[in-house]
Amino acid sequence: MHNFTNLKRYQRIIAAAIFMAVIALGLMVYLVSADRLEESKTQTSPLHPTFEFLDADGVNVLESGEPVSTMKTCGDCHDTDYIEQHNFHADLGLSDIQTNAQVNGQAWDSSNGVFGHWDPLTYRYLTQSGDQLLDLGTPEYLMLYGSRITGGGPATTGRDGQPLAEQAAQKNNPETSYLDPETGQPELWNWSTSGTEEIDCFLCHMPNPNNAARAEVLKNGDFKWANTATLLGSDLVSADSKGAFVWNAGAFDENSQLLPENISIQSPTNDNCAQCHGLVHSSADPLILTSCDLDNPQTAVTGQVISGDKISESGVNLANKETLTQAWDVHAERQVNCVDCHYSLNNPIAYQENSATRPESLLFDPRHLDFGEYLKYPDHNIARGQSAQFNVAPELKGTMRRCESCHAAESIHADWLPYTAKHLSTVACETCHIPQMYAPAIQSYDWTVLTMDSTAASTCRGVENNGGSVTDLVSGFKPVLILRQNVDGDSLVAPYNLVTAWFWVYDDANGFTRPVRLVDLQSVYFVNDTYSPEIMTAFDYDGNGELAGSELRIDTAEKQILISTRLQALGLNNPRISAQVQPYSINHGVVTGSAALSDCRTCHTADSRLSQSMLLADYIPGNVMPEFVVGTNVSASGNLEKSDQALLYQPEPAADDLYIFGHSRYGWVDWLGGLFFLAVLLGVSAHGGMRIVRTARSRRSEHEIKRVYMYQSYERFWHWLQTALIIILLLTGLIIHRPDLFGGLSFRGMVTIHNVSAAILAINAFLSLFYHLTTGEIRSFIPRPYGFFDDAIEQGKYYLRGIFKRAPHPFEKTPERKMNPLQQVTYLGILNVLLPLQGITGILMWGAQNWPQVGNFLGGLPGLAAFHTLVAWLFAAFIIAHVYLTTTGGTHALDSVKAMVTGWEDVEVHEPIESLDMEEKK
Amino acid sequence: MRKLQANWAVGTIGILIVLVVPVIFFWPRTAQKSQDPWDYVPVHTTPTSHANIVQGTFETGSDVTRACYECHPDAADQVMHTTHFTWESKPFTVAGRDVPVTIGKANQLNNFCISAQGNQKKCNSCHAGYNWQEGQPYDYTNQDNVDCLVCHADTNLYAKGDYGAPAPGVDLLAAARSVAAPNRENCGACHFNGGGGDNVKHGDLDQGLNFPPADLDVHMGANDFVCTDCHTTSNHAIKGRLVADNYVIDPDEQVACTDCHASSPHTDERLNAHLQTVACQTCHVPAVALDEPTKVSWDWSTAGQDLPEDHYTYLKIKGTFVYEKNVMPQYLWYNGNLSYRYILGDQIDPNVVTVLDQPAGDIKDPTAKIFPFKLHTASQPYDKVYNYLLAPITGGDGGYWTTFDWNSAFELAVPVTGLEYSGQYGFAQTAMYWPSTHMVQPAANALQCNDCHGANGRLDWKTLGYAGDPILWGGRFQKK
Repeated sequence: MHNFTNLKRYQRIIAAAIFMAVIALGLMVYLVSADRLEESKTQTSPLHPTFEFLDADGVNVLESGEPVSTMKTCGDCHDTDYIEQHNFHADLGLSDIQTNAQVNGQAWDSSNGVFGHWDPLTYRYLTQSGDQLLDLGTPEYLMLYGSRITGGGPATTGRDGQPLAEQAAQKNNPETSYLDPETGQPELWNWSTSGTEEIDCFLCHMPNPNNAARAEVLKNGDFKWANTATLLGSDLVSADSKGAFVWNAGAFDENSQLLPENISIQSPTNDNCAQCHGLVHSSADPLILTSCDLDNPQTAVTGQVISGDKISESGVNLANKETLTQAWDVHAERQVNCVDCHYSLNNPIAYQENSATRPESLLFDPRHLDFGEYLKYPDHNIARGQSAQFNVAPELKGTMRRCESCHAAESIHADWLPYTAKHLSTVACETCHIPQMYAPAIQSYDWTVLTMDSTAASTCRGVENNGGSVTDLVSGFKPVLILRQNVDGDSLVAPYNLVTAWFWVYDDANGFTRPVRLVDLQSVYFVNDTYSPEIMTAFDYDGNGELAGSELRIDTAEKQILISTRLQALGLNNPRISAQVQPYSINHGVVTGSAALSDCRTCHTADSRLSQSMLLADYIPGNVMPEFVVGTNVSASGNLEKSDQALLYQPEPAADDLYIFGHSRYGWVDWLGGLFFLAVLLGVSAHGGMRIVRTARSRRSEHEIKRVYMYQSYERFWHWLQTALIIILLLTGLIIHRPDLFGGLSFRGMVTIHNVSAAILAINAFLSLFYHLTTGEIRSFIPRPYGFFDDAIEQGKYYLRGIFKRAPHPFEKTPERKMNPLQQVTYLGILNVLLPLQGITGILMWGAQNWPQVGNFLGGLPGLAAFHTLVAWLFAAFIIAHVYLTTTGGTHALDSVKAMVTGWEDVEVHEPIESLDMEEKK
Repeated sequence: MRKLQANWAVGTIGILIVLVVPVIFFWPRTAQKSQDPWDYVPVHTTPTSHANIVQGTFETGSDVTRACYECHPDAADQVMHTTHFTWESKPFTVAGRDVPVTIGKANQLNNFCISAQGNQKKCNSCHAGYNWQEGQPYDYTNQDNVDCLVCHADTNLYAKGDYGAPAPGVDLLAAARSVAAPNRENCGACHFNGGGGDNVKHGDLDQGLNFPPADLDVHMGANDFVCTDCHTTSNHAIKGRLVADNYVIDPDEQVACTDCHASSPHTDERLNAHLQTVACQTCHVPAVALDEPTKVSWDWSTAGQDLPEDHYTYLKIKGTFVYEKNVMPQYLWYNGNLSYRYILGDQIDPNVVTVLDQPAGDIKDPTAKIFPFKLHTASQPYDKVYNYLLAPITGGDGGYWTTFDWNSAFELAVPVTGLEYSGQYGFAQTAMYWPSTHMVQPAANALQCNDCHGANGRLDWKTLGYAGDPILWGGRFQKK
């Protein structure tokens, strides 16, 4: 063992040198790292390491001057192939594209995604392989819509899975040709010069991506420069005087790595999503919107605006704006961002297993992907809802966080909303919490005609003058409510906007139906950029040389034939007008409870919100009735109704087996019940009238009268309590049935009184049954089988004849035998059939909130309610008859009523023999 | 039969009970209502007209006062013990100071017109008393000196002039006959004009409140409150203290929103949860100077020059100003007290901004809440040798406003303030915080979540002591 002093001199020197070197190295590391720490403070993205920008060949762009390749640059650390393959924003339906498969039942759709699904609003049709005519080839698709998609998928890859650049260059191949705007003829596209549009990571992961510059580059077909253009405006790249992109070496360090202050990679913000999806407003300036502008597609088709600003502080010329002090969207106001609900499906922070697959016993599953793994393989399939309008990646429907994932809806509503469970299982949260849209939305697109701008004649709902200018008064609109079938099997009434489109279709040479190309429509309508003379002759009614909106519509057979003939002249077979209604789900723009619908009678009344119609169009082009787009998750069970020239969608809740108290009713039940009630009323009136007339001159009966203690006090209590209850039940039931006839009464209150009264009635009935059984009083109610019919006929004869002659009652009323045979059989019916039935149907309706299965077995609310209503009519009729018959019981009209009050009744004394005698006589 | 009738009645009552009790029990509950604040608002009584009561001829204001206490014997004596008359707070014993200190216009300075001492001629037109004389000590014990009319007379008939005396031309008899409970204009005559003009000082009190529109202040505008509805008064002692003139304020002396409003007044749980951290004013007074601009800075160092004059930008006697409208307040932790108040003679560091009244409280103080303040900064004179702020004679005889000579203005102040002047002055930066508590807005105009939270929020969370936006990082009471 040596120690330091034992070492030789040179050893000591070396040791000292090593020691010094270690110290120096440590100091350097410290200084460098301290320096880095200092630097990282200026970095906007706190943790993202620096990196170099690589081109498609993996060479640094500063060296090559080529466009940045995100697949290579980001792919240095993140698995960009994985990202592209797990990314419906990139795929857009490409992977399930099928030629001529009529996807979702649409004759012209080749996929579920925006690449292959034809949208009549944007109109241009992505031509399928082998189609006779080229409309939109892939190159032109990217020019038109490239700035609206992330890139990758169809922007780099052909429909056969091979890169676009390797597709066989043929003019009849829609992947390698485009329609020359000058000639209208297909031209070859050179993918090798244009390059393709890779996934643009910057678009969603940088604070201020320049999508406008990107759009410009795409429009010019310089696809490979698209992602570089997104960086324009940052320090990284600039455009020279000729518009070419020049990388700025000053933004990078000496190793060509990005300087820390230029690293601004982030999770997508609402503004990132907004670039393609709709209007998001988060700046301090007042919000301004252009009505129905397809540049903000989601806002244009639904009126949804994502902003935490108060509506009252917006710059929109909105009716009653000063009273609208709530935010456009409460979640935006409360800093809940798009990605908080629409998260990456393997993000270990955001992901929570769906309650549908998570065992009920498990509140939280702590097992998550390691962060490093996630960053390497981030799933870019974003959790999504189940909207009607987007069918791409159907296997991912319903994966996002929905209202109930965060909100304990049942407990919040339980303290004020009766039948909470029933409401929540019937009505989507959005229905009450998005009661009104405050931005306009598209109503209809009529492509059967072309405006001077070569677009459809479109209408916009919720704004005057179709929103031609920002000063037009916006009123917003109420969404229409339609039953939505969720992937988890629930069916909920939810809010929608309906957009109706009319357009010409034709059968191509292969016999496939295709929308008429815009270029063909243009040649039908225009000559030298103005309407052709034939069009003017047919359309210009007032002859002023211009086509007003009311003239530019196909509202006569002549016009229709003219266009059809001109389309045929272009070689299009069987041109005809087709039309569809596309429902657009409304799920954003949520308001808190204070601004939500909470008045029962919004829905529970004749003019129910659930039956509120929606105007689809002011006129029906070519008189062609549209059909709902198939393959959506809405029932669309309502009717399309014409009203004058206009077209309405009228919801039919009953068609969805919805029975809405206060709104739904069956005409025949009320007619039948009402008629029976009236018949009884008329019958007793006639009978009573005759009694008065016929007995006026005859003398009172000579019978001996005896005062008998007829009714025990409990019997009287039971009777009058039941009387009060039945009257209350009939009245409240009537109000619940027809709340529109009884303004100002609390619907909830009536339901409560009805239910509580019914419960008391049931208890009262059981107690009295117990009483009657134990005391034997029940015998009064049970008909004697022996001679029953004879007795009944005898009693019937009395009512039909004897009573008019003041004849004695056929049977003596005694405390032991209070009822005559007719009464016995009537009460048997009422108390043993009607009352229990009414009780059971009532209980089942009440139970619809917690155990609907039993009620559903018997027809659900529609069946139960119909029956309950009918029986209620019978009860009402019975009361009339019953009250009338009390006047026949005693010597004086009110004797029986008095008896039921006091217990004492004056009854005729019959000889015990008498009745026997009468029987014997027969 | 009587027995039967009794049975009949008992039966009816029994049936009614059986019917009504369960219905009441099951009646749907509406969301719990907050306490009704109107239950706490004083009822305005019709004032007794003094038109036929007050008799005689009045030469001076004191003549009127003497007439008043013929019938209201304790009134003037009560007023004499209030700060409206003493212009000086009760003494405070505070850490770091050897002797108890008092604060008020009588003895301290601010960063507007600086000091009332020696400037009685102008400043004391807002003193609730008469008989001030140049260079003479004031008799705070003579109840004849109390000015009853300034608070009780019709402001159209009465105003005060130099030395607090009735303005020339005032008909004292008419004024005396017009007396009633103070209305907004009585209080506003001084309080709306603090700092020497409309809304200059406070920002949340301007002449618009004399006849306020609904959106200027929900209490005074929409609901026609007068000041004393909240600033309740007992024996002339008026509730409500200004933090600039106090060190520690007993909550019992202060007006609070919860005097009338429930302590959890929102239906939204999340909003109520804010109340342990955020003062009502923070959301419900989103901005001040809604109508009339308020002064946000004052540079005395440029005074005395012959520059173009304008009330809102420059006056030769006062220097350069900045006025702003719709001013977003500053947000500070505040527990209702001050942690520091500049007392005449306190040393300053002329190189840093001296905060003359520092609100007390920080994120760790559970009684402190985030509270809005109007910030007023100034550049005001200090003694370069002694390093304390100077209180010049300005409006007084031979003051700066007549001579434009700072040195003589400071020399003249020496006997008044008792502070030596070295002969060398400079200008130091100061700041004062004025709580923003009037111009209250209803819920519809109050701040909402994203006004404070999120990327564009108005609160500086780091400065307030948070790690970051508590919507993401959690609030101060979460980590235990």
